[in-house]
Amino acid sequence: MTIPSIVLDGVVCMAGGRAVLEIPQLNLAQGERVAVVGHNGAGKSTLLRLLTGFMAPKHGQVQVLGRQLVHPVPAETLRALRREVGQVLQGLHLVGRLSVLENVLIGALGRVPGWRGWTRCFPAGEIVRAEAALQSVGLLALAGTRADRLSGGERQKAAIARLLVQAPSLILADEPTAALDPSAAAEVCRLLVQAAAGKTLITVVHNPSLLPLLAERVIGLKQGRIAFDLPVGEVDDTTLMRLYRPEDSPQKAFWEVPSASKVLAAIGSKP
Amino acid sequence: MAARRLPGVSGRLGFLGLTLAYALLVAVCLGSLAQEDELSLGRNPWANLVKTAGEFARPSFLDVWFGETQLEYRSDDGRVLRIENRRQAEADYLAGLGRATWTTVRIATLGSLLGALLALPLAVLTARNLAAPKPLAWLAKGILDVTRSIHTLVFGLVLVGIVGLGSTAGILAIALHSSGTYGKLFAEAIETLDMAAVDAVRSVGAGPVQVFFNAIWPSVLPQFVSSHLYVWEFNIRDSTILGLIGAGGLGLLITESVALFQWGRLATVLIVIVALVSAFDALSRRIREALL
Repeated sequence: MTIPSIVLDGVVCMAGGRAVLEIPQLNLAQGERVAVVGHNGAGKSTLLRLLTGFMAPKHGQVQVLGRQLVHPVPAETLRALRREVGQVLQGLHLVGRLSVLENVLIGALGRVPGWRGWTRCFPAGEIVRAEAALQSVGLLALAGTRADRLSGGERQKAAIARLLVQAPSLILADEPTAALDPSAAAEVCRLLVQAAAGKTLITVVHNPSLLPLLAERVIGLKQGRIAFDLPVGEVDDTTLMRLYRPEDSPQKAFWEVPSASKVLAAIGSKP
Repeated sequence: MAARRLPGVSGRLGFLGLTLAYALLVAVCLGSLAQEDELSLGRNPWANLVKTAGEFARPSFLDVWFGETQLEYRSDDGRVLRIENRRQAEADYLAGLGRATWTTVRIATLGSLLGALLALPLAVLTARNLAAPKPLAWLAKGILDVTRSIHTLVFGLVLVGIVGLGSTAGILAIALHSSGTYGKLFAEAIETLDMAAVDAVRSVGAGPVQVFFNAIWPSVLPQFVSSHLYVWEFNIRDSTILGLIGAGGLGLLITESVALFQWGRLATVLIVIVALVSAFDALSRRIREALL
């Protein structure tokens, strides 16, 4: 908790005449692993967009990796910032037409200026790095495959390999496991945390069972405000239930829906 | 693409109305033509059909092997006017046919390329997701609509008057007409662009040129090539007709054989056209499959 990675001060974001995010004060230190939870529309994605300069705050100060983002942020500053911010997104963002290796090499574009970046003639050193990254996520055998032939889990692993090549100091992951089955989700989380060693990692996540894997600190957002900011050990089902439950409605949170076995047992117990 | 709905064409009832309107249109077309006595089949269609089919069934190129070597042309009083070697005459005709085919292929190839190059900037302007300035987009769309709706033959007739008889007129006619088709296909390829790919490259801090070459170009190139092959093939078929207006190529031989009622020769020309188009189709399909 020494060097600040992210500092938000009195931030208010508006969309459609409504405050979608209000954060009086938030500090994240370099190397922290933070999960952001909250219902749809709670401001999770807005928070991430704020940090990459895609969204301008109405009021307040946003400082990311020592850069003050004053809107309108010059395109050059934005690009420099994005080179240091790795993103893994829900939508499995890869260039489908390019091979897995070429997709991983895209992570190096920030360091490869001029014609080499245009013609995808990457220096040998970058190719070695990309292959090493693919090796570490277990995708080296698929290096020459086109990215749109991969499964969802393989695509997210390729995105993590791209992250390894990009070597950012801040990683933002927006529901990286949303489209994956439980075992692939756990594998992707493990690789993501491995890739984020020593870096700041902010993950938006819905599945509470992944929280201990991904984070040491959990921030709960509710209607654009921070509802809680706790170490992962202190976050239990009650905390999450209170967060996800709509105001004044006793509706159950989605993970409280009885499991199939319980339902079957209930049916079976009837005469 | 956001489809604008026609008023009153929603739901099952609307579709029924549309079907009835279509049936009415067909009935009006048929009825009015019948009333004007424009639907007749001529005096003895069956005899004509059988006669024409018989002549078509014996394409002239067979004479290269089976023709008379000493075909005598006699006058009414029995004098021999000249003796023709049918095999030699047909072999010469085939050589001419080969040259005409080559001309047609050249016209189609160069015309298609020129059309594609003309259409590319217009397609970029009309693609909705690239959001070009409105007046420019409308202008480009207008140009594409005009060129697409004017037939190659009409362009050819006008151009022959401007640049004279020959291949140039054919090439320009093909280019102008097909640029309309190209523009539409290219714009659609750009509109189906995978924005996630663009975001992926942009998110690592790549500049606009890097985004273009790493995300946009690889995504649209296969579709561009595919459209190009498709229109090129279409133009090979289309350019066979351009000889009709003196732009050279196979069409010239078609006009000639039709004018002289040489159905056997016409059959030979048509066989060549079918072979050419199917060969190109097979080739381009393989290339397209490999690309997509």
